[in-house]
Amino acid sequence: MGYYILKRLLAMIPTLLGVAVLIFVLLRVVPGDVVEARYLTQGSQFQSQELMDIERRKLGLDQPLWKQFAGWMAGLARLDFGLSMWTGAPITEEIKLRFALSLQLAIMASAIATLLAIPLGILAAIKQDTWVDYAVRVFSIAGLATPSFWLGILMILGMLIFFKWLPPMVFTPLWVNPWDNLAQLIWPALAVGYRYSAVGMRMMRSAMLEVLREDYIRTARAKGLWLKLILARHALKNAILPVLTIISLEFAFLLGGLVVTEQVFNLNGLGMLFVEAIARRDYTLTQALVMLVATFFLIVNFVVDIAYAWLDPRIRYR
Amino acid sequence: MRRLARLLALAAGAMLAFSAQAQTPRSGGELIFPVPSEPPSYDGHREETFGLIHPIAPFYNLLLRVDPLDRSGTKPAPDLAESWTVSRDGLVYTFKLRRGVKFHDGADLTSRDVKATYDKIIFPPAGVGSSRKGQYSDVAAVEAPDSHTVVFRLKEPSGSFISSLLSPYNFIYKADILAKDMHWYEKNIMGTGPFTFVEHVKGSHVVGKKNPNYWDKGKPYLDGFRAIFMRDSAAQVAAIRGERAHIQFRGFSPAERDSLVAALGNKITVQESPWDCILLVGINHEKKPFDDKRVRRALTLAIDRYEGSKALSRIAIVKEVAGVQVPGTPFATPPEELAKVAGYWPDIKASRAEARRLLKEAGVPEGFSFTFTNRGIPMPYEPLGVWLIDQWRQIGLNVKQEVIEAAAYFGVIRRGDTQVHMDFQCGYIVEPDLDMYKFLSTDRNPANYGRYKDPVLDGLYDKQSRATNVEERKKFVREFEKRLLDEEAHYLMTLQWHRIIPHSAKVKGWTVTPSHYLNNMLDTVWLSE
Amino acid sequence: MSVSAQTLEELARAGERTGWRAAVGDFIRRRPLGAVGGFIVLIMALAAATAGFLAPYHPLETDYGAMLAAPDAKHWLGTDAFGRDVLSRIIYGSRTALMVGLGASLLGATLGSLIGVASAYFGGRVDLVVQRIMDVFFAFPVIILALAVVAVLGTGAGNVILAIATPMVPRCARVVRSSALAVREMPYVDAARAAGYGHRRIILRHMLPNVMAPILIMATAFLGEAILLEASLSFLGLGVQEPTAAWGLMLRGAAVQFAEAAPWMAIFPGLAISLAVFGFNLFGDSLRDALDPRLRTQ
Repeated sequence: MGYYILKRLLAMIPTLLGVAVLIFVLLRVVPGDVVEARYLTQGSQFQSQELMDIERRKLGLDQPLWKQFAGWMAGLARLDFGLSMWTGAPITEEIKLRFALSLQLAIMASAIATLLAIPLGILAAIKQDTWVDYAVRVFSIAGLATPSFWLGILMILGMLIFFKWLPPMVFTPLWVNPWDNLAQLIWPALAVGYRYSAVGMRMMRSAMLEVLREDYIRTARAKGLWLKLILARHALKNAILPVLTIISLEFAFLLGGLVVTEQVFNLNGLGMLFVEAIARRDYTLTQALVMLVATFFLIVNFVVDIAYAWLDPRIRYR
Repeated sequence: MRRLARLLALAAGAMLAFSAQAQTPRSGGELIFPVPSEPPSYDGHREETFGLIHPIAPFYNLLLRVDPLDRSGTKPAPDLAESWTVSRDGLVYTFKLRRGVKFHDGADLTSRDVKATYDKIIFPPAGVGSSRKGQYSDVAAVEAPDSHTVVFRLKEPSGSFISSLLSPYNFIYKADILAKDMHWYEKNIMGTGPFTFVEHVKGSHVVGKKNPNYWDKGKPYLDGFRAIFMRDSAAQVAAIRGERAHIQFRGFSPAERDSLVAALGNKITVQESPWDCILLVGINHEKKPFDDKRVRRALTLAIDRYEGSKALSRIAIVKEVAGVQVPGTPFATPPEELAKVAGYWPDIKASRAEARRLLKEAGVPEGFSFTFTNRGIPMPYEPLGVWLIDQWRQIGLNVKQEVIEAAAYFGVIRRGDTQVHMDFQCGYIVEPDLDMYKFLSTDRNPANYGRYKDPVLDGLYDKQSRATNVEERKKFVREFEKRLLDEEAHYLMTLQWHRIIPHSAKVKGWTVTPSHYLNNMLDTVWLSE
Repeated sequence: MSVSAQTLEELARAGERTGWRAAVGDFIRRRPLGAVGGFIVLIMALAAATAGFLAPYHPLETDYGAMLAAPDAKHWLGTDAFGRDVLSRIIYGSRTALMVGLGASLLGATLGSLIGVASAYFGGRVDLVVQRIMDVFFAFPVIILALAVVAVLGTGAGNVILAIATPMVPRCARVVRSSALAVREMPYVDAARAAGYGHRRIILRHMLPNVMAPILIMATAFLGEAILLEASLSFLGLGVQEPTAAWGLMLRGAAVQFAEAAPWMAIFPGLAISLAVFGFNLFGDSLRDALDPRLRTQ
């Protein structure tokens, strides 16, 4: 088991390195840089090439690429993420608050997705091909099919018109003021959770169906045991594993992937930061964000893999 | 129809309420306003975005400022300078500073601070960026002969020097701090303004509170302010509609104004004004067939600006038909005269027929296709882009749109690969020297993306800049405009932006001006019950 | 292993079934949801193909006298901020959606399948390296990767197709690879190798056709996601550009601003997107159920 864990940990390193190289190169290929984004955009009648050159030198953008990359890698090794090219502030400071919000949103959305997916999936599997099955599947896929920004616009408009109420505009951390915090985040969490429950529900349903066909279930049925008992103990334990896997993997993506939702609900999260960082060509911030999200994703994957291996011994010894 | 009548009644009511300024200001309250973009640093001398002005200007004073109660946004008013005199030859400007002004840390303001500030702006040391340095090329030196006098010596007389001092970005900094670290003000705030800095939470908000020792006794009226960063305009509207915020200082679209008025009725006051911003069509003179002025004239003749004004003012933040100056300002060409310039003819059929004739003469075939490069900003670039393409379609041109996101946009335009592109111009004050500088030949102004050289045009600019009386200046401005828009059609003006500020009726003491960079010190603003 | 009555019946029935018409009828009867999905897909394809005949107006035709008009006899779904007919733009928009969706999903599925199959076939070091590279792309959230590609290439329909296909390649590769691994162990692959067939031939002629089922399912799932992603990108201003008719684009700007005064501008394109993705998902779901032998009922 220990060997397996070590193997999986070591496998993360080349992936992370690949991600680092990819984002570094991608950003340099994109036209424009942070200095242009800053000084060429305001329609000022007076522009100065020398001002832009000064700024470029200050940010180290005139250095050869390999040097910039090496500098960044050296910094990462010291866990020093550097300064944002746009504001000059330490990146950890820029990310702190947004990370808290995005993490909380991701957790809440995943929880809602799980709470919806598992019971609905089981229901649909037991009542396969009946109207209950159809209704559940339609409800589920409707969530998947609706564009999140459309749903968000409708939600906010609805709240405003019918209830004359608006969620709080500023993020307060959970430990500071739980009521304000939840009042702001519950709506996007519902919108996102509803969408992602569809994936989990589908998985739950097909996993459940598969298990229901297994020999040992049929044997238990033949023995005349009460259906509920069978389901609760045998079927569920085996069916739930792949569902939890999928939801955990989706959770990893929710961290930086909720760009449009954050825009519509006006949330100060990592997704919006991503878009702004790319739009401003803030190389250091974008790179740091990508590494953060990728590392998070790999760690979640890792935890899921280990949990899987621990729960299902057949995998461990492959 | 009923809604229109209601709107008109509200607007009339608002205007009446405003003329009756006999209400006494009430002290207290926190002003809350959304800001669409966050400033990258705090240094006004370096930045060029309104995202800096809105949350940070209240912490500072200027030497001179634009009169905050004047709707035209052109009158200079004293700020830290109590009064000023100009020498007979127009080369020496002497300013008398106020006494008893203190920085937020208790230190006294003297002329040393003003001199250090303007030295930084006009003669920045190596490694220090000053965005508006080019505006002060006429200044030879800044002197501080005694503790409360500042003297500017010019190389040549300039009719626009006072206007250039009114720039809302010229925050007055502390000389001692600048002497120690020229970059200190990028990450820190220390000014003399009506509000003191409390906090800035990245991506969230900026908070300021009342400066108890402000030199203007009795002001500010507000206890403090809170600037909240909100990128999405729908969220900003929702905030004002939900009465969580009082005002947004940039401007809303007509639809947003209508929805706020419909929802809040007389709890909303609407102030509107022509905006000192305009989108222009820039043409790359180095790309065929746009080097031929017949083709460029055809492009402007195709556009029905009057119909566009009526239609687009309903859905976008544009309104008036304009030449090189904001309509209604001293140097703007009156409509009857403007109607003689190409592209402004009242008879659009004749105009388009002429356009087609010119295209044929220049050898441009029917259905000719070119790419119009537009900037990736929704309002008003998108609707104007759609409109322009539609107008050019009417003379048989098949135009494709290429949208480039804001950060990369001007980099691409500068490289000279585009054919026809959307350009823009925003000023903090209506002043021909500033507004027309953009159109000078590329050897004089490298920021001219049209890539042309026109010495006649340059000559007209200089003539108007050095003109000694207003009538003479007007004449040269008109000639400049005619050459720019009609004879050579170097650039095409679209429609003047229109500033619409619907705000909570509780906000008093704030007057809309043509610039969203002005009137943000918040010292005259107060909240009624 | 005993042969149950169920299996015997299936075998007997299998003999009876002839022709694709019976298969389709079967599909409709046994999987009504999938049939509904398939019907929606068909309508969309028809609309896209016959847009020129179907649409009452040209999608770019403006009418400044009828801006923001409510649905009436002249304009069944109303007009937008420029007086352009919403119905016509939705019909032409299906063309854009299908073009982008099909283009992206085909590109992503093709590339992904080839990579997945090749990786499974060659195994060993090659497999490991390819897996790592796919993992790298996999670690990016979908929309961030698409954004990055748009930032590099620029906006516009062609670039959007590439931008959407990019995150789909590693996902397809991963799924196809696991199916391909199973196929690799099949005896006919060994036989082909023994017969001296080249790598390319084996991959293309022996392995690929046998993983068609998961590829097909992936492609239909991708289509729905591609349409959504295009809508999101257009909503952010980074996708297809004006004045092209595209559903995501129609939900931008004026639609949000006039959401109360002229709700038809936001409602109908949103419905069109939802319906299209809904249809593709239902159809793809039922297709998967039909093709996956383990999940067949009776």
